[in-house]
Amino acid sequence: MCGIAGRILSTPGTVGRDLVNLMDAQKHRGADSTGFAVYTVPRDAGYVLRGMGFDKTALDRDLDDFQHLLKQNGGDLLGDPVILTDTNKHYCFRLEISDPKDISAWVRDADTLCDRFEIQSCGRSLEIIKDIGGAAEVADKHGVRDMIGSHGLGHARLATESSVLPNASHPFWARPFSDVAIVHNGQITDYFTQRDRLGRQGYQFLTENDSELIAVWVSDQMQAGLTMEQALKKSITSIDGVFTFMIATQDGIGFAKDRFAMKPLVVIDQAGDLAAATEEQAVRRVFAEESDVINHDGPSLFGIWGVGNRSLAA
Amino acid sequence: MTETIIDVGQRHIRDINQDMQAAAARGEAMRVINTLSRHNLGVGLPDAAHLSFEGSVGYYCGGLNTGARIEIERNCGWALGEGMAKGHITVGGYAGMSCGAAMIGGTIHVKGNAGPRCGVAMKGGNIVVEGKIGYQSGFMAHAGKIIALGGAGASCADALWQGEVWVAGDVESLGVDVDVIEPTAEEVAEVDAILDPLGLVDSSRNWRKMVSGQRLWFFESRDAKAWLMI
Repeated sequence: MCGIAGRILSTPGTVGRDLVNLMDAQKHRGADSTGFAVYTVPRDAGYVLRGMGFDKTALDRDLDDFQHLLKQNGGDLLGDPVILTDTNKHYCFRLEISDPKDISAWVRDADTLCDRFEIQSCGRSLEIIKDIGGAAEVADKHGVRDMIGSHGLGHARLATESSVLPNASHPFWARPFSDVAIVHNGQITDYFTQRDRLGRQGYQFLTENDSELIAVWVSDQMQAGLTMEQALKKSITSIDGVFTFMIATQDGIGFAKDRFAMKPLVVIDQAGDLAAATEEQAVRRVFAEESDVINHDGPSLFGIWGVGNRSLAA
Repeated sequence: MTETIIDVGQRHIRDINQDMQAAAARGEAMRVINTLSRHNLGVGLPDAAHLSFEGSVGYYCGGLNTGARIEIERNCGWALGEGMAKGHITVGGYAGMSCGAAMIGGTIHVKGNAGPRCGVAMKGGNIVVEGKIGYQSGFMAHAGKIIALGGAGASCADALWQGEVWVAGDVESLGVDVDVIEPTAEEVAEVDAILDPLGLVDSSRNWRKMVSGQRLWFFESRDAKAWLMI
């Protein structure tokens, strides 16, 4: 039982604050960790990286090694890294980098450091913030309420399939596809098989979390030529388990639900100003007035919501 | 009867339900406002309590009801009236997943549609849905009646036990081990007696009465593949 949320603003604004409210209302669904994927104002060039290092005493060495690999791939750090530490052993980072020559090749190289330095999001717009603790705690630590953007995802995790670790938290970035993130409520029962197949295609998975698979699976289908809508529809019969997941790109948010109708999804959409969550009482934190609520309660459902009238079908 | 107004807002649910119990003990009717779709409202209310919720409520509203009359103006979340033994619950709009789950008595009346698994594992009482009942409604219902006036979704009455599912309108598909039978005039009269107090009797309806095929009653694991639907 996890809690998920999505938020699209009709015009860019305080999406971080809304996501925190959506997840604070669902904190009872998963006290282990909380995460947010925020789509900030996109940049024309360069990427923002978010992630964590697992030993803060090794911070300087980690950054030197990371920068060395980045330069080898034609990129470099832009500005000073932002590092966040507390009493935990791990530290969190936010880096801005110039474009590497080939992002997939660079991510593959950077992931050679993943046992100590893990990139958890990479995007022109996407920033994933995730950590152990409830929504308010994670938001306070990482300043999520102040994040401005167009849309985003939220997740409260009750760990069932893998350990309670900050890097096993959601959302997951669909590495190496920039600006793609996912949140998932449920369990994927054939993820070893699916992961093995995708691993043989060259994809890298950094956690034992079943949900990490979905982000890559959908992105791989889209790379192979499917639209997001087609990929979401295919996921319902191709991925085994019980699930409701939301996947976000720079252009919007899509969702899919399993064949058994096991996991809820509730939406209020007021002319492109949209909030979606596992529970209606959460979306009512954004839309307090009584309004038309769409209950996606049935089996085998999928759909997409564009940001600012952008189409995701092409 | 005196009416007490109970304001929900972001107050602790335990405090709200204690206010409801106290008002019921005083014999006061209740109007519940500012509900914000919150969960667990009006759980375990006693006989003769009378509440009306303005707006929508969340999960488990009216659960374990032992006789209260509850009206919900708009929608309700999952498991409305779960485990209720007695009383009457009316929903003005949509009822979420598992409406009336494991109820053993009383009546739930939904004026809109009901979500998947309406009446799952119910063991008595009646659920009347003016609209459509969702996927796999009646799943493993042991007793009681689910009456849908606007059709049914896929896998209707799946693995039904001794409950009955009555549908007027289209049924997308049947679940496993379901027999559709022609109801007798006496059986239709029994259903009309449930619908009459709700003002919903219509003699022109073509009823489909669904009951257990009773083959799963004698489930043999070696035949498991025969029951796989997907």
